[in-house]
Amino acid sequence: MNNPHHLNPTSLKSRFTTRFLRALTKIRAQKPISSSSPTEIFRRYRRIKVAADKSMAYSVRSRRIWSRAMLWKLRSRSYRRQDPCSGRRSGKTNQAIMKKSSNENTTTRREDGVGFVEEADELRQLVPGGETMNLCNLLDETAHYIKCLTTQVQLFSPIGKG
Amino acid sequence: MQPCSREMQAMNSLLSPTQPIPLQDLQPNGNSGTHQAQIHNPQFDPTSSHDDFLDQMLSTLPSCSWSDLKSPWDPPKSDETPPSNPDNNAGFHYDEILASKLRQHQINGGGGGTTAAMKMMMQQQMLLPGRPIAAAGGGGLTMPLHNDIVDGSSFKSPNQQGGEGSVQALYNGFGAGPLHGTNNQSPNQPQHFHHPQGGNMQTQSFGATAGTVMNQSQASGSTTGGTPAQPKQRVRARRGQATDPHSIAERLRRERIAERMKALQELVPNANKKDKASMLDEIIDYVKFLQLQVKVLSMSRLGGAAAVAPLVADMPPEGGDCVQTTAGGGGSLQRNSNGNQPSANNDSLTVTEHQVAKLMEEDMGSAMQYLQGKGLCLMPISLATAISTATCHSRNPMMNKGSSSNHPLLQSNGDGPSSPSMSVLTVQSATMGNGGLDGSAKDAASVSKP
Repeated sequence: MNNPHHLNPTSLKSRFTTRFLRALTKIRAQKPISSSSPTEIFRRYRRIKVAADKSMAYSVRSRRIWSRAMLWKLRSRSYRRQDPCSGRRSGKTNQAIMKKSSNENTTTRREDGVGFVEEADELRQLVPGGETMNLCNLLDETAHYIKCLTTQVQLFSPIGKG
Repeated sequence: MQPCSREMQAMNSLLSPTQPIPLQDLQPNGNSGTHQAQIHNPQFDPTSSHDDFLDQMLSTLPSCSWSDLKSPWDPPKSDETPPSNPDNNAGFHYDEILASKLRQHQINGGGGGTTAAMKMMMQQQMLLPGRPIAAAGGGGLTMPLHNDIVDGSSFKSPNQQGGEGSVQALYNGFGAGPLHGTNNQSPNQPQHFHHPQGGNMQTQSFGATAGTVMNQSQASGSTTGGTPAQPKQRVRARRGQATDPHSIAERLRRERIAERMKALQELVPNANKKDKASMLDEIIDYVKFLQLQVKVLSMSRLGGAAAVAPLVADMPPEGGDCVQTTAGGGGSLQRNSNGNQPSANNDSLTVTEHQVAKLMEEDMGSAMQYLQGKGLCLMPISLATAISTATCHSRNPMMNKGSSSNHPLLQSNGDGPSSPSMSVLTVQSATMGNGGLDGSAKDAASVSKP
């Protein structure tokens, strides 16, 4: 069922698959599967999750708001880990960018006129980078985000069965 | 207001159906039939390729129509100051005519490949606010690509935004839906305007321009009046109906939101849209569910063989170096070795997780009851896997087994480390399509509501 998608070299699924597999192999190469303590496992899980998120975001590039937000979050997190100063710097510039975009888009953010403020806020928290979007874009981003998440899930489920 | 508008009015007075004469004057091929048909170039070859189509359009239309248009414009410009009509009512007449004509061109000849060329041409022309012809031409030419609304905003948008944003704003001005096809994706026929995932930047800038543009009372008469559901009849004929730019903007936004909701509805499995609020709730739940699913799958399948609970804190006797991703449950659970999951996503993931974690601390039984009250249960991942791949038979014995043990349903894979390692809330659900879980997903361990 998934194969026809994989045949298409430019589909989201194939892009994500290649990236993710690459990241996985890198992780596996880094650290042997010897750890059994929960800490180690969790750390490994974290790394995998980050790799998954990163590969997903990268395969979407910056075409989507949520992918941009996620990429920025990942980068700032990694910067923060390496060097606090640079993290601050990049965080500032990136935040300036995000705030600018939010200012542009916040003309109709709260004032929906449709009356879905609570749900919209909750959705904003769920979708990365959703705070800077008005309802219209939020719905758009949500659709794409759902599509990406389902892709991820579809790709994860066959892995690990073997 | 601005030179464009006046010239638009001039054009309108020229080309409105009530004044067929100027149109017929423009026709190099004489008058026959409706004036609409006349602008059809008889030499137009509907089966030509995209480039040929563009060439033909560019050659014929500008040569005959535009140049002829130019001349009659200047004299009537002074005469034409109809105060009654709002600014771009005129322009809309003109655009509609062109739209219908060019749409037929488009439908016949296929305009997919012409997008880039058209864009270039229009970009050059639209960026000059003092070129009403170009604006009209650009507007007219873009009509076939999307038969929508806010025509006026397109004339305004190049004035407002310079640079590359203007072209997209121009597209945006013609409506969000069909625009999706124009820019990046396959610019199909104008009928295909429902691209839920397309038109990212366009729609955003449209959202921005629409608010500002409407405020300039540009698209006062043009927009709305028709539902976006009919692709071919998107020519907005309601003029002067709603002159309030804010209401028009509101209506537009509502339409676009409705479009997006429809698209989302298709994605989300439970798609009985009774009302939008419940639909939104459904969407939210589904996103949470998917995020949880990804987390669980990545953790369980890839993070290690043993079932570890990233979502639920380990029992206190463990020393608490398990992480709690639900960040902030009981006080004793904060001894996170990695101390993270800082993102707000996890916090808001599920209140259920919080509750379950808290309850699990105290008493497994109450936790299980809480879960079952919600129609969920915990199960070890291996069993969940087995269930998902096999039929539902394994479910019952699993249930029985679980209830009779000390840690109901929490017996892990059999590694049996000394400290009870909890299994994760699995996310097998019918939507996964993993097997025969369709009706039974409700009882099985799933975070989705039954």
